[in-house]
Parts: sequence; structure tokens; C-alpha cells
Amino acid sequence: MEKSTITLTISLVMVALFTIAIISFSVGFANDNSAVINIADDPELSALSTETTTGLSDFKDDSEGTYSSILETTIEPGSDVAQSTGPFAITAGNIIGVTKNIIYLPYKKIFGSGSGFGIFFTTFMGFLVLIIGLLMYKTLRGNP
Amino acid sequence: MIFLAYLYDLPNATEGVDAIVNQMTTGSFYWFVPMILFFTFCIVFIGGITRQRIRTGTADYSAWGIIASMTTLLPALLFSVQAGFIRLDWLVIVISLNILTAFWFFMDKKVTEV
Repeated sequence: MEKSTITLTISLVMVALFTIAIISFSVGFANDNSAVINIADDPELSALSTETTTGLSDFKDDSEGTYSSILETTIEPGSDVAQSTGPFAITAGNIIGVTKNIIYLPYKKIFGSGSGFGIFFTTFMGFLVLIIGLLMYKTLRGNP
Repeated sequence: MIFLAYLYDLPNATEGVDAIVNQMTTGSFYWFVPMILFFTFCIVFIGGITRQRIRTGTADYSAWGIIASMTTLLPALLFSVQAGFIRLDWLVIVISLNILTAFWFFMDKKVTEV
């Protein structure tokens, strides 16, 4: 699926926000109704929510610096491309750690922690990073 | 009249319907709740895709996936209120399914002009 850099960044951030929302809703439902089975009893899911919140907070802080770098970007006369990829450093490279944590936990909970599917996850994350890099390059220079 | 022996132990029906279901899930039919959740997911996912395809000629698979997973989450949370219906790892799997379908849904969007 072909995606632009902005669309990709929005998608990754929305996945992170949805993860926080669905875990918080489940924990809140259990607390409000005094449920016997509580999602908060699962330490990995609680840790994922905390890590995702921290990652999004870092994303919010770093986005201000990226905004400044975008404003300071200069394009030489006669050239229609930027000189560096600095303005795009925040887009997906910052949020990729959050996405990796989010995808890893469902994979571990459904498929288990065995090494049988390990190559699948490793390959998928490598592919995702490669696609993100190609999308940034395409945004700067056109079709790679 | 000849009365045949019961093939299974009759539940104690003096404490309400939820007690009967609880006895059934913890005793004779252990997979009742997971099958209910699986049925809920499939009936929404397959049914939604099928009807949308019939009406419009195409179907939004990722959207029906996230709708089906969130529809599955609601009875799973209701089952978690009382002990004996659902285990913690099953509820975690339902949450994980929500996260996976959300990832599929948000990544399955077309490119824009920017």
C-alpha cells in the first residue's frame, strides 16, 4: 500500500493512541465494575501502555524541534529539492520504537514467545523500516 | 415408563441463570466463552464483508476487522465481571486482536497528495 510520509506518520500515531485508549478503557471498565478478571493484572500489557505513553510524549516534544528545522529549511535557487532529510527525521523514525512495541505484544500473546515465529517478526520489522526509508527518499527526490 | 439415566449432571437451577452458565463453563463445556467470542467476531466480520460486497460490489476488510474486534471486546469485558467465565489470557488475546486490527485499519489507507 503506497503511503505518503505524513499519512504514514498519522497512521503510526493513531495506532499508538488507539492502543492506549483500548487498554485504558478495559482497565477502567474493570475498576468501575469491580471485575474479577482485570487487564491491569497482566504486567506486559500495562507496561506496553506506559511505554507507548512515554513514546508519544517524546514524539510531542521532538516534533517542536522538527517544526523549527522545517521552517529553517532552505532550497537553493534552481533546485526543487531540500538539501538534507533533517525535516523528515521526526516523521516515522521517532515513532518506530512505539510501533515496534505495539506490534510485538499481540504477536507474543497470540503466537507465544517461542522462537518459531521469530523470523517472521524480525523480517516484518526490517521490511517496515525499509519502506519508511524509501518513502522519505521518495518524498525528497521522487520515485526511487 | 422407563426413565433412562441422564447422560450428564444436571446443573443446579436454584441460583439463577448466570450460575447455570458458570457451572457449564467451568465444568462440562470449558470452551463455551471462547466459542461465543469467536462466533461474535466471525458473524460481524464475515457478515459485514458479505453484505457490503453484495450492496456495493466491494468491501472494506480492515474496517470490518476493527468493528468485529471491538464488538468482540464488549462481551469479553462483560464476561470478566464474574469469575469462571473467561480467563485473563483470553481477555488479553481479545485486546491483542483489537490492537492488531487497529494497526491493519490505520495502515490500510490510500496515499494522499502530501
